[in-house]
Amino acid sequence: MKSIIKLENLSKSFGEDLVLKDVNREFEEGKIHGIVGNNGSGKTVMMKCICGFLRPTGGRVLVNYKQVGKDVDFPEDMGIIIETPGFLPGLSGMKNLELLASLQKRIHRDVIRETIRRVGLDPDLKKPVGKYSLGMRQRLGIAQAIMEDPSILILDEPFNGLDKDGAGQMRVLIKELCTQGKTILLASHNQQDIDELCDTVCEMDAGVMSMVREGRSGYAN
Amino acid sequence: MFKKIRQSFSVAGYNFRQWRRNPRIIITFLLAFILCFLLSDKAVAFAEEHQTTMQIVEAFIWTFGDSNSILLSSLLLILLFSDMPFLSSGTPFYLMRINRRIWVMGQAIYIFLATGIYLLFILISTSLVCMTNSFTANMWSKTAAILGYSGEGQAIALPALVKTLEMSHPYQCMASIFFLMLLYALVLIFLMLFFNIWKGQAAGVISVFAFSIYGFLLNPENLQSLFRLPDELAYKARVWVGWLSPLNQATYHMHNFGYDNLPRLWQTYAIGGTLLLLLMLLSLWAIRRYSFHFRGTEGGA
Repeated sequence: MKSIIKLENLSKSFGEDLVLKDVNREFEEGKIHGIVGNNGSGKTVMMKCICGFLRPTGGRVLVNYKQVGKDVDFPEDMGIIIETPGFLPGLSGMKNLELLASLQKRIHRDVIRETIRRVGLDPDLKKPVGKYSLGMRQRLGIAQAIMEDPSILILDEPFNGLDKDGAGQMRVLIKELCTQGKTILLASHNQQDIDELCDTVCEMDAGVMSMVREGRSGYAN
Repeated sequence: MFKKIRQSFSVAGYNFRQWRRNPRIIITFLLAFILCFLLSDKAVAFAEEHQTTMQIVEAFIWTFGDSNSILLSSLLLILLFSDMPFLSSGTPFYLMRINRRIWVMGQAIYIFLATGIYLLFILISTSLVCMTNSFTANMWSKTAAILGYSGEGQAIALPALVKTLEMSHPYQCMASIFFLMLLYALVLIFLMLFFNIWKGQAAGVISVFAFSIYGFLLNPENLQSLFRLPDELAYKARVWVGWLSPLNQATYHMHNFGYDNLPRLWQTYAIGGTLLLLLMLLSLWAIRRYSFHFRGTEGGA
């Protein structure tokens, strides 16, 4: 299977603080790759480097054989959710997603409605997003990440704020997306999410990445 | 091409949507109204004292024909753009669907439109202040004539100069002052945008203050005393300042209307336009290396 995301000697520092230290890793296509680690270990910084939001201090990120920051500003065909998703608080969930979809005009209203239903929300709900619970906002964040059917998903703490049932539904959705051939990078604090969902698991510790397990079997805790 | 333009306007639209019920925006416009009320009070009080009427845009002309008023109103703009470079927790969703250059173009459109709205608000506010005692015809009022020809205007620091009265009409003059202010404010904010992207938020704010202080200190009196110019050469200091100080270039009466060496209006527009273009290009260059840090998502690294 081909590597769809490749990190080569990736380093990132903020001033004197070295947050990512020479990370080398390839993420194969069509799998769910888990990333675990404590707060401040470098998970989010690594994901932001992959998305192109942060410029690496050293090394490079290749997504679909294109170097992020050189060949493309932000990887094409990628859906993201980075921690707390932000929406325009005065607009409904549907209106928010319509605005985002209007940037590329790749999908129709019906697809957005269907995606909102898929994450367990009501597309006809008129309530403004500002009055949504954290869990509802998280679901809407997942909907915006998947609505244009990208082949790569970067999900940083996608279960934040979700109750037990909600997290269960999202786990089912993520598995379903993987069976459709999507490559998913998933960072989570929750060991159960990682154990249940991920094909490979890496651990970040003080900016250093190490492999915990590769493949579903043989998981060593 | 059209897709990129549409995307740029969508980015600008996203910023405008954040104005809704935003206390910072409300406070900026409230303060702008108070500023207009306080600054134009002198002209209104003068008309009341002499029991004369005013042309409806004269309060704007006499108030913002003065460099200090322009400086104060532009500094208030910093509050309007204090969230520069406009990164919220929703920005990543936009960025993933566009590219860096489109994002900067969107911010540029937003700055143009927001500054224009702000200055229109100032124009309307000053007109409202003198509304009860004014007329709309395109001719100077008796108040203007007294201010200009008697020299009382200069005595109370209202720049109602004879050359202004004799060489233009109120709406023409208003349009020129509006565009001069717009140009000055845009240069100021684009400078802030460039330094913000290039060196960070603190550098953006410092650049604006440095630019304003440069304009404020570079006045004919300071230049005359610095180079110890005799009074008969004071006009030279005036000409130098007219060319060197962006704040004086934004001041209507510091222009050449046919009989001195000050910049002409079109020259000021050309200089301002060139500066704007340069700052825009520099911002597009700086965005290539910019690291995005979004508000509300900075949890665990």
